[in-house]
Amino acid sequence: MTALVRYLFTVLLLSQRCVAPLLLFVGLVAVLTGSDAGPLTATYASVAGAMLPCSVWLTMALLGLEDRAHRSIVVVSAGSHLRVLLATVGTAAVWCLLLAAAGLLLPLMFGTHTPGPADLALGVEAQLTCALTGMAIGLVCSRLVFRRQGYALVLALVLLLAALLGRGVSPVNIMLTRLQNASDSADALVPTAGPLAVAAGFLAVGAAVTQAITLRKA
Amino acid sequence: MLRCEAVGKRYGGGRWVLRDVDMRISAGDVLAVVGGNGSGKSTLLRILAGLSRPTSGSVSRRLTHIGYVPDRFTPHDRVSALSYLTHLGRIRGLSTSAARARGDHLLERLSLVGEREAPLRTLSKGNAQKVALAQALLVRPDLLVLDEPWSGLDASAHGVLSELIGETAAQGGAVVFTDHREAIAETHAEGVHVISDGRVTSHGGGRGGRGAAVVELVLAVPPAGGRPAEVNWSALPGVDDSASRDGEVVLRVAREHLDAVLLTALRHRWSVAGLTGTAGGPRHRFDMRRSAL
Repeated sequence: MTALVRYLFTVLLLSQRCVAPLLLFVGLVAVLTGSDAGPLTATYASVAGAMLPCSVWLTMALLGLEDRAHRSIVVVSAGSHLRVLLATVGTAAVWCLLLAAAGLLLPLMFGTHTPGPADLALGVEAQLTCALTGMAIGLVCSRLVFRRQGYALVLALVLLLAALLGRGVSPVNIMLTRLQNASDSADALVPTAGPLAVAAGFLAVGAAVTQAITLRKA
Repeated sequence: MLRCEAVGKRYGGGRWVLRDVDMRISAGDVLAVVGGNGSGKSTLLRILAGLSRPTSGSVSRRLTHIGYVPDRFTPHDRVSALSYLTHLGRIRGLSTSAARARGDHLLERLSLVGEREAPLRTLSKGNAQKVALAQALLVRPDLLVLDEPWSGLDASAHGVLSELIGETAAQGGAVVFTDHREAIAETHAEGVHVISDGRVTSHGGGRGGRGAAVVELVLAVPPAGGRPAEVNWSALPGVDDSASRDGEVVLRVAREHLDAVLLTALRHRWSVAGLTGTAGGPRHRFDMRRSAL
């Protein structure tokens, strides 16, 4: 599994298709948190919001890299479709964790904050919630499911907007509005665990759907 | 080793690409699947390689390592050929150094010498095909599945490919490949499966075919020489049937006993007037040719 993740990571890195989402993330973080001196809960909520589209983009880019023949070779080498899919999810997670590390540190450089451990934990938690949701959207809109990427892109945008703006329905929206109004990170840690669990559930469902459709199409 | 029973395949609600395919592949087999464009060859190979699930029927396999070479390998990767092979070797469980050494060795055999460090995307079709072939052989495969491996390769690589197929079979691996030219299939395979209208028919069937093949041997009195000695032909091992007509003796001999019978006949001063395969079809001709070489 490590070898697979390493291979997929290298392929995405060398393809340079990760550059655009990375730049978008850094740009969004800079705009949203620049010269910000408010409570870190709201700051990290903005960063998490930026994470969502970037994780979708990264996941779609990762799955769109290889054509069918190429992927077949990887699947036969790895032994099963499932193993390759899990490794893909793992690779996307590695990329998102790199983004999350940047998302933790950049606001501290751009603004004036005094971060405590609870703030950083909340930052990780919020970003992870958005990353897992974004990965789920990216999987379902990937080339494995949609052969025509135009439709996939439209669906990805719709799902992205639904996740960000679905008031009272989307766990991402619930979490972000709650964090915008919270003032103390330590108090917000526990309620945020709920959306994180739901996001993990989304990812599991997204992976299961993708796997089922991949097998049907194979 | 691998067994397909009544395998059928269709995509969604489309037409049946394959129907009622029965196939048995055992260790050491070299089988060819021949058919026109779009006849379902690639689909059959994808099922054999475990990439695709049959819509109906069952496939049972007892294999650990499968090597698969797709028909079109057009990589967009910027990784070099050697590093691609190293990555895939690691995915197959080799250590980095072992994978690199094995990849290097295979590329050298396939003579991709100058371009080992070149990014995959810059390789020509033939060279990309060589990399695809090398990745399938990184670990000695129990089943090697090759989709149109001959196309795109240069003449010297053709020789290496036959060698690699022979080696895989000799080491107890089975090889299945496709080609649209029956001539190539017959030269390189022991059994040919013809696929048309989604149905597969065995053509000189690989399994047990060699043992069952019977050769008709016609022996005559030598034109310049004395009378040959009488032999009790029916008593020789492998002789199914013997008959005399116009002073000639016609024997039906099992393929594996043919050489011994021929030797006996020649020792008794008989002359060989004819030798024809009666079972096994085209494959049989191939056997004769090979034994002549």
